[in-house]
Amino acid sequence: MAYGILSFGAYVPTLRIPRKAIAEAMAWASPALKGLAKGERAFANWDEDSITLAVEAARDCLRGVAERPDQIQLASTTLPFADRSNSGVVADALLCAERTTTEDLAGSRRAATSALVRLGHNPGPRSTLLLAADCRDARPASVQEMNYGHGAAALLVGQGEPIALIKGAASWHDDMVDQYRAADTDYDYVLEERWIREEGYNKLVPKAVAAALAEAGLDIGEIHRVVFPASSATAKGVAKAIRANPDLFIDPLLANCGDCGTAQPLLLLAHALETAVAGEKILVIGFGQGADALVLETTPRLAEVQSAHGPAAYIAQRRVCPAYTQFLSLRSRLEVDFGLRAERDNRTAQSAFYRRRKDITGMVGGRCTRCNTLQYPRSQVCVKCGEMETQQDESLSALQGRVKSYTEDWLAYTPLPPYIYGNVEFPDGANCMLEFTDFAPGEVKVGSSVRMVFRIKDFDPKRHFRRYFWKPAPLSGA
Amino acid sequence: MAKGIRDKVAIIGMGCSRFGERWDCGPEELILEAFKEALADAGITRDEIEMAWLGLFYQEQSAGKSALPLSLSLRLNNIPVTRVENMCATGTEALRGAVYAVAAGACDIALAVGVEKLKDTGYAGLPERTKGTFDDLWLPNATAPGAFAQLASAYAAKHRVDMQDLKRAMAHISVKSHANGSLNPKAHLRRTITEEEALNAGMVAYPLGLMDCCGVSDGAACAIVTSVEKAREMGLKDMVTVKAMQLAPSNGFEMSNTGWDGSYLHTTRVAAQRAYAEAGVTDPRRQINMMEVHDCFSVTELVVMEDLGISPEGGAIKDVMDGVFDKDGAIPCQIDGGLKCFGHPIGASGLRMAYEMYLQLLGRAGDRQLKHPSLGLTHNLGGHPFRNVASVSVFGLHSA
Repeated sequence: MAYGILSFGAYVPTLRIPRKAIAEAMAWASPALKGLAKGERAFANWDEDSITLAVEAARDCLRGVAERPDQIQLASTTLPFADRSNSGVVADALLCAERTTTEDLAGSRRAATSALVRLGHNPGPRSTLLLAADCRDARPASVQEMNYGHGAAALLVGQGEPIALIKGAASWHDDMVDQYRAADTDYDYVLEERWIREEGYNKLVPKAVAAALAEAGLDIGEIHRVVFPASSATAKGVAKAIRANPDLFIDPLLANCGDCGTAQPLLLLAHALETAVAGEKILVIGFGQGADALVLETTPRLAEVQSAHGPAAYIAQRRVCPAYTQFLSLRSRLEVDFGLRAERDNRTAQSAFYRRRKDITGMVGGRCTRCNTLQYPRSQVCVKCGEMETQQDESLSALQGRVKSYTEDWLAYTPLPPYIYGNVEFPDGANCMLEFTDFAPGEVKVGSSVRMVFRIKDFDPKRHFRRYFWKPAPLSGA
Repeated sequence: MAKGIRDKVAIIGMGCSRFGERWDCGPEELILEAFKEALADAGITRDEIEMAWLGLFYQEQSAGKSALPLSLSLRLNNIPVTRVENMCATGTEALRGAVYAVAAGACDIALAVGVEKLKDTGYAGLPERTKGTFDDLWLPNATAPGAFAQLASAYAAKHRVDMQDLKRAMAHISVKSHANGSLNPKAHLRRTITEEEALNAGMVAYPLGLMDCCGVSDGAACAIVTSVEKAREMGLKDMVTVKAMQLAPSNGFEMSNTGWDGSYLHTTRVAAQRAYAEAGVTDPRRQINMMEVHDCFSVTELVVMEDLGISPEGGAIKDVMDGVFDKDGAIPCQIDGGLKCFGHPIGASGLRMAYEMYLQLLGRAGDRQLKHPSLGLTHNLGGHPFRNVASVSVFGLHSA
């Protein structure tokens, strides 16, 4: 038993927009966009937000892990709720016990790395699932619209058989307003890049790095990889400033994913851990009104688990958004006329939700103790044998399903038509009519295998609420 | 042991409004249009009606809750009126209430009225409705075409039918119903269509195109019923009697358990078997002369042919393509044009179907009259294939 990082995970949403499509649509306003029109960026589907991205990263991290964590920390600058525990929703989706400590961390792109520094300095008996997710939207034609991506990452930290040890950790606070987003606004306000590079990255990062290396008792020359959440151009200056070989800086995933804000350092770390070998010393850097630095050292245990985790599979699974206007609409930047059906009032009966919150957030159904039939939703009378009050809680969220019937409905309202839904069969008799997600038209077939993913079910724009449920998604990528 | 209601109750008058986009009418006018016809047909006065049942589905945007829409609009004499709602079986349920009251001896003459005003919603298609607070949290916000389209995907997969072949049979159904509806002055859609038009219509919910879907209409229909004895007293000799009225709602089997493959309508099978037993039908394919089934979508009609035991399992496509259900076929189906051409003002549809059976049995169907039918079947399917309410009724001639 030792204290350290026990597992890792990541998630990148399926949708991609080629940067060229953004530039082609918006270069009339900002011709300079053409210079950035390389590669593609990942973005969250209409039914994804920082909570659902975090849940997927957490599931990736917890795959093969027997115990649920004692505490969950969710770091993001784009948490959907300002007052409602976002990490509490995640905890229920992950079927964590009520005694689980849940904590939302916000206010900085360093929220996740700062939390990891804290975990490095305060080892305890309790296991922590550290989640980072961001889903930042940007003003049309802005540089951020081109550069940002949406994604999430997860680390499980605690006592056990670590895949990596935290050898050194340091934070450096400095209120340099390189960019900011006021609490009541939608978009980031970003200052001049050269100033941020020269006064920010090149001067602040070395201070945190030096402190972390000192704590680890290591010299920069002993570092094998550097995880740095910025462009290669910025990395060059920082490499010089910390006297590191620029080749040690790993691919920042900007070409095929984008800058995922708070999630980016952990997402890149997860990416590094996919291929790291035992004994590698990895320097992880976080930046934003100061800098964080962590020195990690991988263990032989990593090789046993690394193939089951990380962002590579999600980066490979991609669906290209055909039109810039669709991208805008899916991100609620463009008000499309979806007709009168979109006017449906989605008020949530909170007391009804509260009674059945586990059924909904955890997809907990019932298994009849008499005939062993699994069913969703859980009911008072078994659908198979008719016995009363025999059902025990059992979640269907981790089960693989098979499509029995489906339709692509062009009449029903959905932000991404067609509305695809159908009957899905699960093991042990369960059967359920469900709304699908992430399938393109023509992709679902009777007999298709699906996995369940946690998503936004409906928005209630009148009351600024959103409710979540589980949806069948394509099996690949899991 | 109860014997059911076979030949206990006679229909002595029926009426049906013109169905369509009745921008000129509210529910009161539609009710009156059907009621006047039924009253004249029965040859009675309004004050002879002792009890009434009103079938109305969307009270929120139609006529309102309770007995009042009927009692107020017809100025009934404070007689008991019960409003019933059982999704698309609502009209049939109103009739069942009236028929049971007469069969029970609670009254001599009862009225059943079904009405729906759908065209005040501001758009085509059925209004959005909430499914109840818990269901809203997890069930898809499905539309009717989307829910019924899945019958087609599951049917094609189960019977290993090429979707194009299934689509062609579905097109045949729509072409046939439009041909029938074109002869009916009360139908909403009176234009004939071609198979090509049906196949090339815009996609609504895969694989259902626009021509696979029934219309959305306003309408009302009604029936006046009495006991066979009373009908005889009134001088009726050849009369239309109710042979069976059966209802089967889902209990969760289809939606929550894997025993159902999505390719058929479980409750229709149950209701049909019960109705045949009540009516004394042992060989439906030979004994039933005509049918009005719940053709909300073309594929529903196709699948229902098997669920009613008319076509063998997996054999409906062949029967459809062989013309068994055409106007000149062995068992004409939707001889009035069906939901396809009448649309589906939900509360009215079941009674509209009974109205056509009544006219045909009495030889009063004009251009669409079949040769000497003696037994007709109506079928409704309320809700979605994965959870629904099915009704099967049988009407026939009775000689006193």
